[in-house]
Order: sequence, then C-alpha cells, then structure tokens
Amino acid sequence: MEIGFLHSVIRKDEKLLIEEFNTRKNVTLNMIDDRTLKFDLKKKQFNYDAVIERSINHSRALHALRLFESNGIRCINSFQVASVCGDKLLTSAMLQDKHIPQPDLKIAFTEESALEAIEEMGYPVVLKPAVGSWGRLLSKINDRDAAESILEHKTVLGTYHHSIFYIQKYVEKKGRDIRSFVVGDECIAAIYRTSPHWITNTAKGGVPSKCEVTPEIAELSVKAAKAVGGGVLALDIFETENGYEINEVNYTMEFKNSIATTGVNIPQKVVDYVLKVAGGENG
Amino acid sequence: MAECPICGNDIPFEEGTVKGELIECSDCGSELEVISVKPFRVDEAPMEEEDWGQ
Repeated sequence: MEIGFLHSVIRKDEKLLIEEFNTRKNVTLNMIDDRTLKFDLKKKQFNYDAVIERSINHSRALHALRLFESNGIRCINSFQVASVCGDKLLTSAMLQDKHIPQPDLKIAFTEESALEAIEEMGYPVVLKPAVGSWGRLLSKINDRDAAESILEHKTVLGTYHHSIFYIQKYVEKKGRDIRSFVVGDECIAAIYRTSPHWITNTAKGGVPSKCEVTPEIAELSVKAAKAVGGGVLALDIFETENGYEINEVNYTMEFKNSIATTGVNIPQKVVDYVLKVAGGENG
Repeated sequence: MAECPICGNDIPFEEGTVKGELIECSDCGSELEVISVKPFRVDEAPMEEEDWGQ
C-alpha cells in the first residue's frame, strides 16, 4: 500500500505518525514536502492509495488536498473538511446546519455593523479571525471603548480577511475547556486544557489533563465531526450552563501532549484509520 | 555531527532522525530543522507564518 505523507516541517506529532506507519507491514510511506511540491494539472502525477495531510500551513494543505483529489486520491482529511475547518465561519455555519450546540455568534463585514452586532450581543465578546490558529489574534472585548479600538485597528491595519468579523459571545469557562479527538466514527480520547488565562490552547500554555470520554462527550464530538465532513478531527468543547458547546473543529490535529495524558495511542488509531481509507473503506 | 548555525554547538545525530524534523540545540535552545540526514545538516527552523497551526 502506498501512502503519501504531506508535510512541511516534521514536528513531534508527525514523527509519531511516521514511526507508527513504519511499524506496518506492506505499507510504503512516501514523504511529500509541500515546500518542494509541484503540481501539473494536466498530468496524473501521483499513485498513492491515500494521502495523509500534516502540513503546518493551512493554505498549502488546503490547495494541495484539492489537487491530490483531482488525481483521484483519497485524502485524510478531505479538501472539503479542510476548507470548512480552516475557516471558523464556515465551521460554525456547518455546525448550525446540523443543530450542533455552539456559543452565540454574530458575523459582520464592516466596522460599523460589527460594533452594532457586539452591542446587541452584550459584553464581553470574543473577536476571532475567521482563519487563524493557536489562539493568535483573539480579542476579548469587555466594553465599547475596546470594541471601537480593536475594530478600527483590524480594519485599518489588517488584510481584508480581518474585516470578516466573527464575534462570539464570551463563554465563562472556569479556567478550562475540553479537547476531544475523533477518528472516523469514534471519539478516541479527550483532555481538559486548564489555564488561568481565558485562552486555554496548549500553544498558549494551557495544561493538559485527562478527561473521561463520557457518552455525552463522545456523541457530541462524533456528531460535530460528521457535521463538518468527518475524518480525523480534534474538537474544542466548552462546558456551559446550557451543556456542552462546540467551539472549534481542527483538521490537522495536534496530539503529542495528549498521548501520555490519556493513555490512548492516538497515532496508532490515526494510522489504522488512514490505512482503512486507503484500502477503500469509508473509515 | 552537525553544527548549530546560531551558536556553533555540535549537534549529535540521533538514530531515526528524519529530513524536515524539528530539533532543539542543547546549548542555545534554538529551534533547528534537519535539512539533510546523510550528510547530517541542520539549519534555522522556519519562522512561524500567519496560517500555521490549528
């Protein structure tokens, strides 16, 4: 079986996956560095049974997936999933279509309408770039003065992407949220991410600890993963007074801090799934 | 053995290292990328870009 491994730099997560692939019989892993990749649209260049996407750049991953799929190759995750999950607005729209609980949200396209939306929603709110990651450029806005200032900065200094205003009602997380991991039809593991800061991403210093995968967490996680197209996905979940709410869905999941924490061999589960898809199963 | 491009420290090759892998210089703590396994060579890791990560 020929597996393409799309990557840029190899982080600990990628290394763990490579090591897991190398334990499998009859599997050849073909490393595809997105920095040296060249596509010729008129040629069928690749003959992989599947491609696993592990690029660190969202834009490269997204476009490469589309082109691999043009070559008839099944990708984990698919272009459609990457395009939805790479954009918080599209993710929220898909979740809403499937009635998956998520924090209150407003979208606006100008400084003025965004300010109105924020005032209607009530403070505090969180303004997020629709495309962005690792908790970067998130703004918790506590009052009108801050709202006016941040909206002006985004409009004047940002690219047009930053004028797609994604405004989420601030959720009091009591210092933690949940990250769950879905592979195919199964929620394989979950962690709490705890931080004194309102941003709990581990990239921002959030500390992982084990979270039991209750039937409720499992069901919501799998439903939310399916809502965006399914595959290998990591979900950020808030615990609120109204129950669990899905905050974000990540399509190139980072798991290196979650293996020892959960006791689950996440790379093994991911590789099992990739090989299943490569073998023609739907996963 | 490779040389850290930042501080000149010797970086030992570890079995199983792959091209593209990120490693850390034990002396200056710089993040380095393995740009070649045979011969073993490292360079400064790329700077974080706007669309990196999850």
